Amino acid sequence: MEDMIHVDRAMSTQQDIKISARKVQVYYGDTHAIKDVDVDIDDKTVTAFIGPSGCGKSTFLRCINRMNDTIDVARVEGDILIDNEDIYDAKVDPVQLRAKVGMVFQKPNPFPKSIYDNVAYGPKIHGLARNKAELDEIVERSLRKAALWDEAKDRLEAPGTGLSGGQQQRLCIARAIATAPEVLLMDEPCSALDPIATAQVEDLIDELRQSFSVVIVTHSMQQAARVSQKTAFFHLGNLVEYDATDKIFTNPQDPRTESYISGRIG
Amino acid sequence: MTDATSSAPAAAPSPAQRASLLTESPRMKKRNAAETRFKMYGVLAISIGLAFLVFLAYSILRNGIPAFTQTVVNVEFTLTQEQFDDAESRMLKTAVYTDIFVENVTAQFQEQGLDVEFDGDTIERLLGKVGGDLRSFYRENPDQIGQAVALQLPAASRVERYLQGRLTRDMVVDGRFLEVADLDVVDVMVDAGIIGSAFDWNFITGTDTGVDNPGGAGIGASVIGSFFMMLVVLLLSLPIGVAASIYLEEFAPKNKFTDLIEVNISNLAAVPSIVFGILGLAVFIQFAHLPQSAPLVGGLVLTLMTLPTIVISTRASLKSVPPSIRDAALGVGASKMQAVFHHVLPLAMPGILTGTIIGLAQALGETAPLLLIGMVGYVAREYPDGLTSGLLDPNSAMPAQIYTWAARSDEAFFEKAWGGIIILLIFLLTMNIIAIILRRRFERRW
Repeated sequence: MEDMIHVDRAMSTQQDIKISARKVQVYYGDTHAIKDVDVDIDDKTVTAFIGPSGCGKSTFLRCINRMNDTIDVARVEGDILIDNEDIYDAKVDPVQLRAKVGMVFQKPNPFPKSIYDNVAYGPKIHGLARNKAELDEIVERSLRKAALWDEAKDRLEAPGTGLSGGQQQRLCIARAIATAPEVLLMDEPCSALDPIATAQVEDLIDELRQSFSVVIVTHSMQQAARVSQKTAFFHLGNLVEYDATDKIFTNPQDPRTESYISGRIG
Repeated sequence: MTDATSSAPAAAPSPAQRASLLTESPRMKKRNAAETRFKMYGVLAISIGLAFLVFLAYSILRNGIPAFTQTVVNVEFTLTQEQFDDAESRMLKTAVYTDIFVENVTAQFQEQGLDVEFDGDTIERLLGKVGGDLRSFYRENPDQIGQAVALQLPAASRVERYLQGRLTRDMVVDGRFLEVADLDVVDVMVDAGIIGSAFDWNFITGTDTGVDNPGGAGIGASVIGSFFMMLVVLLLSLPIGVAASIYLEEFAPKNKFTDLIEVNISNLAAVPSIVFGILGLAVFIQFAHLPQSAPLVGGLVLTLMTLPTIVISTRASLKSVPPSIRDAALGVGASKMQAVFHHVLPLAMPGILTGTIIGLAQALGETAPLLLIGMVGYVAREYPDGLTSGLLDPNSAMPAQIYTWAARSDEAFFEKAWGGIIILLIFLLTMNIIAIILRRRFERRW
């Protein structure tokens, strides 16, 4: 255990910082939902956001690909830098940003189209494939990465909504990675899934770490402990503690973190 | 254990209070009675509604069906070559044909032992211009000369009403249309068994007639008028309505101004249609100088009336598309417009189409606005020839035609009005069925 912590720490110091947030504030109308959050998220790492319901972890996640722009009353202040570029700069088009920062939602939400079209949609609108063969290849690669190829290869033309819940969520992951993003945001991706499907998705997340920086919001502390290398604990809109996962779960510095992971709050 | 229960009698209910599950408590009885009463009210309400519907359908069919049939006189007629040549060489050719016809029919009556005197004028009053019809028939079909031909001659509407008992002998006052003696001939024809009835295609395909010929009036021209109006309504209100709804629902900022627009659209849907009529009169006819009574103007007015309906139903169906679909599309980097047109709109399509068809059906049956732009009262005697003529030449529309017929003093037009209602209802039912089929077929698939 000690060794592992040591290894993880060694890893994190070597890695580049992919996302860096400074003094981020989010307001929903008059509600101050996120207060002064500073966080550096490493590349090729799984970072988990945990915390009780309503603590702002999903809100903060949605800031990273500017999905909060779609909510009229939401207002974001502060800086979020991806590869040292401010994504809230006036020159940034959120559409272009979202191609670089993919997202998987809480409830599996495949398009009511075929499995193939679900995965091919992103590459098509971004012009990532010059012809059908390239598109086929992207679809296959994405489905393989999402560990869905074996189950879906014989029925690519079947509707994506006809898959089981776990398969649908993996399809959504395939759809998200088909646009070749650099960061993958996952908003409680397993909350609508049964334990077996959850285990499959968790294995997948671990593999995805090879290629992406993954940020996952989860309700389940066990899940955070299983899949992430770093964990951030949110409470009432504040980032309370952010450190290596093992450290958070074995030796939390803040009393609030300790209360939460030991089940006394949240 | 027994001690414990007996020592605490207050806590446990006494045997008398402990209700059996097998008997209904008084409170439960009341609740159940209330529920039964409520169900009965519901059944009663539906029964009353159904009774009215049955009564309505019955009276429409009873009054309207006669409009589709026509009283005819079946006569076997033979014209020899000599008679033909003789008739063609005379000055008043059709009169000769009429006389030949009269002779022929009189001979047939005498064979059956029926005796009645009548002349060509009587025949023309009863059966219309028989001589002219016969002449054109034989000129077109010279090979029929010398052969026995079974003729089916439509009887005048007064004859029809006399046979139905709605016209009595003492009601006959105007000798120009019918004389009392003519009715004796009709009686003889009935005795001879040559009067029958046939399906009146002319009612469906024909055009309107003047007030003096109720029998020949048809609804065909006004069906075409309605068709051109619906064409205008569909081509204008669908794109405008859908585009406006998409903008308002998906793109427009939510502020006081869009709230105002929203409230006004809902209000417009409730504006009486005659208001749209007077607006159309002022704007399209008096200001833009478009022709009166034209289906184009009617279509424009009905477009104004249909737009709020389409906007409201389109917005409702756009709203019913789950936000997760929009999130999914935006999440893979689709622009707002791509998200709407690739994902939201196809899912909202069945609702939009249903709303549009319902709106069209509403417009099809609308009469009040047409009053003001001059389509009601216009006698549609001619079919339009072509698209421009169909849009710009004065015409009537189905509901306007029905109104016109119902307003005429000659009672014979009433059955035409009822018959017109049947045709209108057939169109409306067809459109509603199409709407239902579309909705079923493209039912939400997520």
